[in-house]
Amino acid sequence: MARSFALDLRSIFIFPSVFGGLFLLLCLCLFLLGTNYQNNLMLALCFFLVALFLINLFTSYLNFARLKISLGNTQHVYAGDDIRFAIWISQHSGEENTAHGKLQFRFWLQKDSIEVDVDSTQNPIWITLPTRRRGQYSMPRLTVSSYYPLGLYRCWTHLLFDHSTLVYPKPVPCEMALDYLSEDNNESESHAITRGHDDFDGLKSYQLGDPLYHVAWKQVAKGQGMVSKQFSSSQSSSGWLRLLPCSADNVEHKLGQLCFMVNQLSQQQVTFGLDLGSVQIAPDSGVHHQEACLAALATFTWGKHA
Amino acid sequence: MLKAARNSSILLLSGCFIALSVSMFTEILSWILILVLCAFVMRLTLYFEWHKSLPKVRTLNLLALLSGLALAWFSFQLGLLLSMVNLLVMASALKLMLLRNQRDFLQLVATQVFLTACGFIFEQSIAYSLFYTAICLLLLLSLAVYFAPGLQWRTLSKKTAIMILQAAPIAVVLFLVLPKLGPLWQMPSQRGTETGLSDTVTPGDIAELSRSAKLAFRATFEGALPQPQERYWRAVVMEHFDGKTWQTHPTRVAARRQYLNANAEFTPDVSGRSYRYQVIAEPTSQRYLFALDVAIPDGSRSNRQIWQDHSYQLFSRDILHSTFVYNVRSFPETALDDTLFSLERRLNLQRPDKGNPRTREWISELRQQFPVDAEFIRAVQRFFVEQDFRYTLQPETMQENPVDQFLFDKQAGFCAHYASAMAYALRLGGIPARMVAGYQGGEVDNDGYISVYQYDAHAWIEAWTEQRGWVRYDPTALVAPNRVMFGLQNVLSEEDSELVGEPLSLARLSAFPLFNQLRLLLADIDYAWSRWFLGFDQQSQRDMLRELLGELSVQRLMWLSVGTLLGIMALLALFFLPRWQRDTRPREVKAYETALMLLSKHGIERTAHIPPETFSKEVSRLCSAGVAATFARLTRLYINTQYRNGSSAVHERDAKTLLSDLRRQLKQQAS
Repeated sequence: MARSFALDLRSIFIFPSVFGGLFLLLCLCLFLLGTNYQNNLMLALCFFLVALFLINLFTSYLNFARLKISLGNTQHVYAGDDIRFAIWISQHSGEENTAHGKLQFRFWLQKDSIEVDVDSTQNPIWITLPTRRRGQYSMPRLTVSSYYPLGLYRCWTHLLFDHSTLVYPKPVPCEMALDYLSEDNNESESHAITRGHDDFDGLKSYQLGDPLYHVAWKQVAKGQGMVSKQFSSSQSSSGWLRLLPCSADNVEHKLGQLCFMVNQLSQQQVTFGLDLGSVQIAPDSGVHHQEACLAALATFTWGKHA
Repeated sequence: MLKAARNSSILLLSGCFIALSVSMFTEILSWILILVLCAFVMRLTLYFEWHKSLPKVRTLNLLALLSGLALAWFSFQLGLLLSMVNLLVMASALKLMLLRNQRDFLQLVATQVFLTACGFIFEQSIAYSLFYTAICLLLLLSLAVYFAPGLQWRTLSKKTAIMILQAAPIAVVLFLVLPKLGPLWQMPSQRGTETGLSDTVTPGDIAELSRSAKLAFRATFEGALPQPQERYWRAVVMEHFDGKTWQTHPTRVAARRQYLNANAEFTPDVSGRSYRYQVIAEPTSQRYLFALDVAIPDGSRSNRQIWQDHSYQLFSRDILHSTFVYNVRSFPETALDDTLFSLERRLNLQRPDKGNPRTREWISELRQQFPVDAEFIRAVQRFFVEQDFRYTLQPETMQENPVDQFLFDKQAGFCAHYASAMAYALRLGGIPARMVAGYQGGEVDNDGYISVYQYDAHAWIEAWTEQRGWVRYDPTALVAPNRVMFGLQNVLSEEDSELVGEPLSLARLSAFPLFNQLRLLLADIDYAWSRWFLGFDQQSQRDMLRELLGELSVQRLMWLSVGTLLGIMALLALFFLPRWQRDTRPREVKAYETALMLLSKHGIERTAHIPPETFSKEVSRLCSAGVAATFARLTRLYINTQYRNGSSAVHERDAKTLLSDLRRQLKQQAS
């Protein structure tokens, strides 16, 4: 279990391909024909092809063994979208030691494979995995195979990367249902401020997660350190998104709506909290908060709520 | 789905296919060649994107059906072998038009390799062999392009060439050591394309052969060569004459089969001086063999392979599908069987009851005039000398009473005309006579072997007399003595030589010494090729192994097979082990490791968990300033290579010098 694999004797499988079988059959035909016609040229060709078959076993293996495959970062996606895994093929330096030829990548139990030509493709290689439901997806076993150089053998390996990724619920557009529980008095006021959210309010010291376009670059240039501009709307209102009690059939729909609202609110930089019953996330704003909320939505299980 | 545009592998495959088909144009029907051309053009247009879509499967299915029917019609004339080859080419052409996915492509490549091998059935000369080998290698290259399309051509061809060169020695070992088997079953041969002599001769047939400049066989003599006028290579004896055509007598054929089944071979009693020689016969798809006069097989292998019948004719037990090598011993002084059985007498006096009235009349007169056999024969011969006979390759056709027309009207003809007329005349005169077809003459090459070409084909007769048995008479020699002494090209008129095939015209260049030398050199190479490669058979293999191992006991053969296996394994190890175990780490890293080893020899050990920089400081504390500085630089290079920028040529060189510096400084420090 790792994020990077260097292929070697223990991880590579090699077996004649279907074409390899056909090739051997061809050799047999040539041998019979050459023997019956007492034709040395035909026999010589037959033996040459057999020798080539033998040589290919090693050429094929050595080529494949030069591969080093590692996994890059993965973006979280929404249910129904494809997860895109970034695969990096790193090679040893020097032309002598590079792997060549086409490679096929295929996930365990997936029908489609993608084909990549190592000699002409730029890293990374994107391999997609379709998703249907939200939740934690661990990366399935990845089969990498190669027919280089003459297609007589298939070299393959199964790679199980130590990696999983979250799939968020699919956002379902809906009315905003922000629940303002606390600080009822300020409600009207906060709304007023929210409307003018583009107004400049002041500066604060930059915190990790603040959008870069809020950085006051003039101040940075003057050497005052990283400071963010604060806009009146961004810190004003704070409400709760709640998962209301609902039936089992409905919960995915509700989670989708919550997901939509989380994204909307985060975009408007509204401070909000998330209450899923079993899980509660205190009101906050920013990218990290959004991610935490989405993760909670993704991993939410119905049983706990009940 | 395979990309058709700019797909070099498919284009290469198509190129190989068309080259292959064109090279077999005599074997392949012309409309199939056109089909191949269409497929090639189609691939060309797809490659350059002049046209983008493939033809519809339904259209092609219809085309395939029509072509299949047409081929089935033609297959009656073609015979099994040619039909199969034509079918293969036709199917490949259609497949090439339809080529859509990887499976199609791979199947087509395999089929082309097979077709290349089929080419070897038809042509085995060096030039064709080289051509077919090149095609085969290009097919492999097209496979390589298919599986690594992004690789540069140069790298790719280099890699493929390396593979091929690695495979070659293993193939040679397999070829030499794997036991050669005899034919496992009878294979179909080419109908109508049997080359060389056939077992029927209608005067005029051999004239056709004379236009071919193909090699018929070569003979390598131990010791002296026979004189030109002695070089009568007997091949086919024909005893049945129907007034026009001579052929092997059905009774003779039946008798031959009977003797063969009873395994009762005819062995002539031989005496006198002899010639020992080896004949390398080109494939004829027939069984007859060539030898001078009375010949017996020489050596156990030839004894097994060769069969002789009562007409002193030699046969091979297997059809000559490819080059066939045999050893014989000829006895020119031995008389051919002087006891004539009644059967043979009957066969060789047989003649048609009707036709050729003028000849009959002439002979009955002549016979009355010369009742003694020898005198009668001499009189017939004199007739050929005295009359104004002319030797030509283009005699006028003689349909009605051909012998009459030839002897009394036209008086111009080729060897078969003379032989036919004389044999008929002798039979009419009550002297048993038969026609013998074979070759006469041959070209002597530098290395003391005789090459006999198809244009050396000749026909003569054998007549039987009480005193001398079967005696050879060659009426052609009476008319054109130079034909026998100096070969065909010396007796031909201007317009005749136009007809003769190209090497003869090359032979006409023999006046220029340079051309002649070149021609003879090529002939020598071809001879070596036929003798040592094409003629490498069971017996040659056994001889080679015997020379290598001594007596061929089971134990020794077992050792040989084990040795071969080990040899192949050693070859593989030689090819691949160095690459397998090669240290692929950058030189900077290796230099650092060596430095660590050197330091540990001087008692400074780096334990695994200490980071390189910390260790460098420790070294500076323990060692002299020089050592410390050098090692610090090595450490920096190491860190740079491993964790930052990777290896570079400049740094590799630096690492090398630093390492030698370190070695020196450590030595100084120790002393």
